[in-house]
Amino acid sequence: MEAFVSLANGLSVAIQPMNLLFALIGVLLGTAVGVLPGIGPALTVALLLPVTFKLDPAGSIIMFAGIYYGGMYGGSTTAILINTPGESASMATALEGNKMAKAGRGGPALATSAIGSFVAGTIATLGLTFLAPYLVDIAVSFGPEDYFALMCVAFVTVSATFGDSPVRGLTSLFIGLTLGLVGIDILSGQSRLSFGIPELYDNIEVTTLAVGLFAVGEALYVASRRHVHEERLEAVRGSLWMTKEDWKRSWKPWLRGTAFGFPIGALPAGGAEIPTFLSYSTEKRLTKYPEEFGKGAIEGVAGPEAANNASAAGTLVPLLTLGLPTSATAAMLLAGFQQYGLNPGPLLFAEQPNLVWGLIASLFIANGMLLVLNLPLVGLWVRLLAIPQPWLYAGILVFATMGTIAANPSPVELIMLTVFGVLGFLMRRFDFPIAPVVVGLILGPIAESQLRRALSISLGDPMVLLQSPISATLLAIALIALILPFVLKGLGRFKAVED
Amino acid sequence: MTSSPQRRIDVAGLVIALILLGLAGLIWWDMTKLQILSPYDLGPKVMPIIVSLGLTLLAVGNAIGAWKGDLPARDSLDWKPIVLILGGLACLIALIAIGGGFMIGTAILFAATSTAFGRRAFLMDLLIGAAIAVLIYLLFAKLLTLSLPAGPLEHLL
Amino acid sequence: MTQFRKGLWRSALAAAAVAGFVTSAAAQMELKIMAPAAPGGGWDQTARSMQQALTQSGIAKSVQVTNVPGAGGSIGIAQLVNNSKGDGSQLMVMGYVMVGALLTNKSPITLDQTTPIARLTAEYEAIVVPADSPIKTAKDLAAAIKADPAKVTWAGGSAGGVDHIAAALFAKAAGADPTKINYIPFSGGGEALAAILGGKVTAGISGYGEFESQIKAGKLRLIGLTTPAGKATADLPSIKAQGIDLEIANWRAVVAPPGISADQKKALTDAMDKMAKSKEWQEILKAKGWEDSYVSGDAFAKILAEEQARTKDVLTAVGLVKS
Repeated sequence: MEAFVSLANGLSVAIQPMNLLFALIGVLLGTAVGVLPGIGPALTVALLLPVTFKLDPAGSIIMFAGIYYGGMYGGSTTAILINTPGESASMATALEGNKMAKAGRGGPALATSAIGSFVAGTIATLGLTFLAPYLVDIAVSFGPEDYFALMCVAFVTVSATFGDSPVRGLTSLFIGLTLGLVGIDILSGQSRLSFGIPELYDNIEVTTLAVGLFAVGEALYVASRRHVHEERLEAVRGSLWMTKEDWKRSWKPWLRGTAFGFPIGALPAGGAEIPTFLSYSTEKRLTKYPEEFGKGAIEGVAGPEAANNASAAGTLVPLLTLGLPTSATAAMLLAGFQQYGLNPGPLLFAEQPNLVWGLIASLFIANGMLLVLNLPLVGLWVRLLAIPQPWLYAGILVFATMGTIAANPSPVELIMLTVFGVLGFLMRRFDFPIAPVVVGLILGPIAESQLRRALSISLGDPMVLLQSPISATLLAIALIALILPFVLKGLGRFKAVED
Repeated sequence: MTSSPQRRIDVAGLVIALILLGLAGLIWWDMTKLQILSPYDLGPKVMPIIVSLGLTLLAVGNAIGAWKGDLPARDSLDWKPIVLILGGLACLIALIAIGGGFMIGTAILFAATSTAFGRRAFLMDLLIGAAIAVLIYLLFAKLLTLSLPAGPLEHLL
Repeated sequence: MTQFRKGLWRSALAAAAVAGFVTSAAAQMELKIMAPAAPGGGWDQTARSMQQALTQSGIAKSVQVTNVPGAGGSIGIAQLVNNSKGDGSQLMVMGYVMVGALLTNKSPITLDQTTPIARLTAEYEAIVVPADSPIKTAKDLAAAIKADPAKVTWAGGSAGGVDHIAAALFAKAAGADPTKINYIPFSGGGEALAAILGGKVTAGISGYGEFESQIKAGKLRLIGLTTPAGKATADLPSIKAQGIDLEIANWRAVVAPPGISADQKKALTDAMDKMAKSKEWQEILKAKGWEDSYVSGDAFAKILAEEQARTKDVLTAVGLVKS
């Protein structure tokens, strides 16, 4: 009940006209930068920090929160329309979303992503309001062994992105794991697979790999096949909006995506990528239309998008309750707090209730604003696909390289982008799935370092993985998820025999 | 996955298997130069060993697939557009490396890609690319105050 | 984390440009300051703050901040030494962390190739334990390490960084074998803090600012700071005052490229001297909670040389650098 009163107080802060204006500026800016690959909400907040120095703390922090949520919306737009995920969290969205866009269903894809983001954002913000104090205790009790077990669950579900050949899927995954080795090993300080090139010491940037494989690789592939296979894009086929069927197929993935995104986002080392991929593979398993996956299944957009946004709200749990920044944007929000001499942490709720609850309330408002802003834009966005093909792909390449240059104006980064583009082309040509490479790059280093941390703490005793109840449970889930398909197959055969 | 009924050996598939094997060897060689520093840490070698062994197994798997001719059918390949696009990217990288700024490079990349996709108006596209580059420059540098690699053209703006 | 680093990095450029508008008419000096790291972090903030103080106080007409991130500053210093030789308007922010990073990365460029100008700030390392830990003082912690270094797990930043070095020095001062410490590096962004709060490790070590709000909220117990014994207060006990001979500071400084003339060096040093005394700089130090540890000229060059020698010893002892 206390939370209700505080939230009402917060709402009275957030609906002050000036703060509403700040929220609006925030979501507009956030959407704009989320659309640009390579430039995300973290950068935007950082850009604005010095500008907002003289502003009222509540107003500017509300604006930052708007940017955060707005960036999440905008990031999915490029992923769906031009297969260029602006951030690693919108990668899973690109898998089915871009296929939908190419089939003339870009409208429904964008709509389900916007509405799903709204639903997930709202539920997750409610979770932040009422569950934060409890959730944070669980989040902090997550030890390295538990993270390792979580990674095991994630690895098992990667197979959903494998396509039809396990050997080729695993090959892709191991290429990703290889790329994950590049750079300085955080636990020993030694560099691996860097060959003395200092630019490689800092590990491979996930967005560089994703944009290279997805956008550049695709451009090369389509160009190389133009003489045999003219690609025809139809901006709109059928309804621009979600049909009744689309709604029916979307609402459950939204809720399941939220259930993945919010708690994992709240974990100090959880992140947004893992819940999006977990959501993707869950939807692929549960769908009634498995044949559509890989060709543009709406569940594959609805789930990951919801997970993506829910994890953004989850990130605010450790930030506000403990002062733990667990994402780049959260780190910049923390810097924003500190600029005003505010220290997020256990005392923030007590010392600055108006600010904290005003922020939480403005998250609800930002979410509503985003939905209202984004839905009318869907029609406009899909028109982008009507641009003549030479210009569309030329524009995508310019987009991809600009994002990379803005991120790091070093030729080495662009060379990597090009090499990953060629890799993406070759993998498409020889029918290797692309997504497992990125998944390997993300999961490999986390799984390795968390396992090594767990074993260092336990002095090499592997039983630590089973002694922690969280870890034991997660490992059991991973095992079941690994074995279940085979068992079901066996049962199916058994049944078939009986019939 | 048995798209070629006559089951011919797929040479490209064998090359892929060889590349994977080479990659596994490279990781192994790199691993041997690492040291275990902390007495409690599993060490930086375990992961490379796993990845290297995994890649070796997958190389065998891919080789078997190629031997059976199990690879999906491939269309013939048109190299010209690939060379054009990669050439555009190379121009951009080279121009940034030598301090020529990103604008000229971006314009060339735009025109080269659009030519690769069949347009025959290189000069026109060069101008469009340049216009886009100017727009991006103004947006990034002036509005967002981000510094992009500058060359002679950028200094004029 | 790399994405985080890059995001921050871009922001520095931006912030630099924004701050660049604030110029003073009285100034004549035009400076370039390179932060060899990602923004948001210490070096970048230092560069940005210097920019603010130098331009607002009118010591310099314009200050341009650039960021060259990567490999703990190895890429930045290589660029300074190779591309800016003899440039009397170029400065580079650096810090204690770079001393270690250059050694562990086997960088072909060393700090001896730069021209030391001045040390600006220092932040002391804090050792904390979870609030319910039986360890109450630095002596308790030292005794535990001496009894069995394996059982005392440390959470801190990356291997070979200042946290790691401080933990090794603590073990050495406690009379234990520094190569046997069970130090567990975490990536940034609060992961180490979460592990300490969750009671996964025995102790945590990092800059005091990282732990401040948790200490004040009573969730962590401060064992001590790596300050000189004379600086100890009731709230901020010094480890040295508790009888463990450990004193280390994560300082930040500026260096100039090699090959600058004596006049250029003097001009840069004078500008830094003036900045350090300026009202603007002092206000920034206060706002950011940075400790003023200003030393310029030959005194700083001597400190730099000593720190390099000490760090090499420690890193050799823990095996990160081969002697």
